[in-house]
Amino acid sequence: MFSEILIYGLVQGCILALFALGFSLVYGVGGILNLSHGGFYLITCYVIFKINEISELWVAMTIGIIVVVLIGAFTYIALIKPLQHSPVGVLIVTFAFGFLIEQFVSFSEGTGSHAIYPPWFYITLDFFGLHLQFFNIVVIVGASILVTVVILFIKKTKLGKSIRAVAQDREAAQLMGINTDRILIISLIISALLAGSVAILYAGNTFQPADAWRTLLVAFAVTIFGGMGSISGSIIGAFIMGYAMTITQYLPGLGQYSALVPIVIIMIMLIIRPQGLLGKKEVK
Amino acid sequence: MLKEIRRAFHDSGAAIKNFFYWVPQATKHVIDETPSSLGHFKSWALSFRGGITFVSLIGLILIPLITQNNYYTTLLIYAMIYAILAASWDFLAGIAGQVSFGHAAFLGIAGFTTAILISSYNCPPLLALLIGAITAMLFGLLIGIPCLRLKGPYLALGTLAFSIILFRLFMSSGWPIKQISGLPKLSSQINIFFIILGFMLLTFAFLHIITSSRAGKILKSIRDDEICAEASGINTTKYKLLAFAVSAFVAGIAGALMVMVNTTAEYGLFDSQYSFYAIVMACIGGIGTISGAIIGALLFQIISLISGYLPFLGEAQLLILPIVLLIVILAAEMGVLNPLIDNLKKLYDLLRRR
Repeated sequence: MFSEILIYGLVQGCILALFALGFSLVYGVGGILNLSHGGFYLITCYVIFKINEISELWVAMTIGIIVVVLIGAFTYIALIKPLQHSPVGVLIVTFAFGFLIEQFVSFSEGTGSHAIYPPWFYITLDFFGLHLQFFNIVVIVGASILVTVVILFIKKTKLGKSIRAVAQDREAAQLMGINTDRILIISLIISALLAGSVAILYAGNTFQPADAWRTLLVAFAVTIFGGMGSISGSIIGAFIMGYAMTITQYLPGLGQYSALVPIVIIMIMLIIRPQGLLGKKEVK
Repeated sequence: MLKEIRRAFHDSGAAIKNFFYWVPQATKHVIDETPSSLGHFKSWALSFRGGITFVSLIGLILIPLITQNNYYTTLLIYAMIYAILAASWDFLAGIAGQVSFGHAAFLGIAGFTTAILISSYNCPPLLALLIGAITAMLFGLLIGIPCLRLKGPYLALGTLAFSIILFRLFMSSGWPIKQISGLPKLSSQINIFFIILGFMLLTFAFLHIITSSRAGKILKSIRDDEICAEASGINTTKYKLLAFAVSAFVAGIAGALMVMVNTTAEYGLFDSQYSFYAIVMACIGGIGTISGAIIGALLFQIISLISGYLPFLGEAQLLILPIVLLIVILAAEMGVLNPLIDNLKKLYDLLRRR
């Protein structure tokens, strides 16, 4: 049981890290609270599911990623940019977009749950006496690669440097000749890409329209826990949260409350240390 | 002995005399104030805005009276309950600037309290409603105290988290009360319509009075610039808690009314969908307008009415709402109520000039 908790906690942590990293990036760079973040994951799942019915899996997955990237760019250009001067407006418009995505998929596919089963889903490995489904390894490896690539992109490349510059001071960055709109579109695309990649890596898991809010809440919980806008904070937060959820699942009598764990953790965290683990002190 | 009684009598007589002396003084004070507020009401009623309000109110009353259709009446009843809920959200978000995503929690708390009081203790409905709303208010304070240390997005998701905790709690198998059904029906449908209409007018008037009072001005100042408000010596926490309490109270009224009209209370009341509906309706009408909520709520019911006649739309009715919201927010950020009235006024002026 101990090794099971170890593995499943790791898997959960990887998924949460992918969600939270994108969410935190967009908040950190543009101060945009993107409430349609869960919708990005959801729409990718459904696009892959739908196209997989008529085509091969890898085609479906490619199209899914393209769609989610386009949606990420669309969200910024058509919805967030016109309302940039009012934070409440951004909140409402991204909320409405997330709501739209949720209603759209439940309109076209019903509110029930679906799943995509990739060929590697059925492979199991014996790993030191532990029955391990191969798709768990896919999640862990894929997530590690993606997170490393994104962090290297932000830390090492020139574009990443301008992303950090916009995050530090938007006006100053603009004065230095950085196209802030372009930077914000890029960060939203990265965030959408990370959310969409969960749909691919975690294929085999069931999804349903209500996941839009569950995903958003989890991403937000991790981000608050690790500190708003802090990338390393959200990765550490993701693993702590992942293990907390997995351990609750294994506790006798408490299994059904495992989905509540992130919520309870944010409530406690918000009261004790509102700026999060590694966050800057910006909240009173 | 006799002397003492006489003295006591004299004392009490003096007290009564003093009292009668005091009452006119006190009422004089009140009467001194009334003309100004009555005058304010009169000038509002004679203004274009007031006129439009009365015309639409008469229109609203005439719909069930003329059509005599129970289905339309029911739609309007729910529209008004939703309007109360949306107005309570609008007060918190639009006037005080505290965006909440967990109004369903207040709805559910008040609804369950009312249902328990009516079904188990045979409480008269009005009292049950008041107690339910007060419970929601206390709960709002309870949520507000930890959440008000948070700002903007933190607050939004903190309240969402609270309402989801309650939803899961009431849904989980171990919870004792999941559903209370078979509450007595209040009255005939048309009477319920008028009762709810009365409640809606009362709550709207209540929210408008608070908004135009000193406290409302302070709340607006907190919304516009919290640091500045704090620097000018306003106890922002106190006023934010006040806004939370008022909003929770009004949302509680909506919850209690909903339970009474449904004659059942079930855990679905805690569903975040209700919070989302409230936000959508309030934003379509216009953030910070309070009365705009009724436009959003009517639109919501009109959509469900139309989709009742067009079967292929049946599934899509919830899809239309966010699309409308997106269009409204992008086209007119502050909702449709104020532009609508302004344009009507322009039209009216144009017609009158001729």
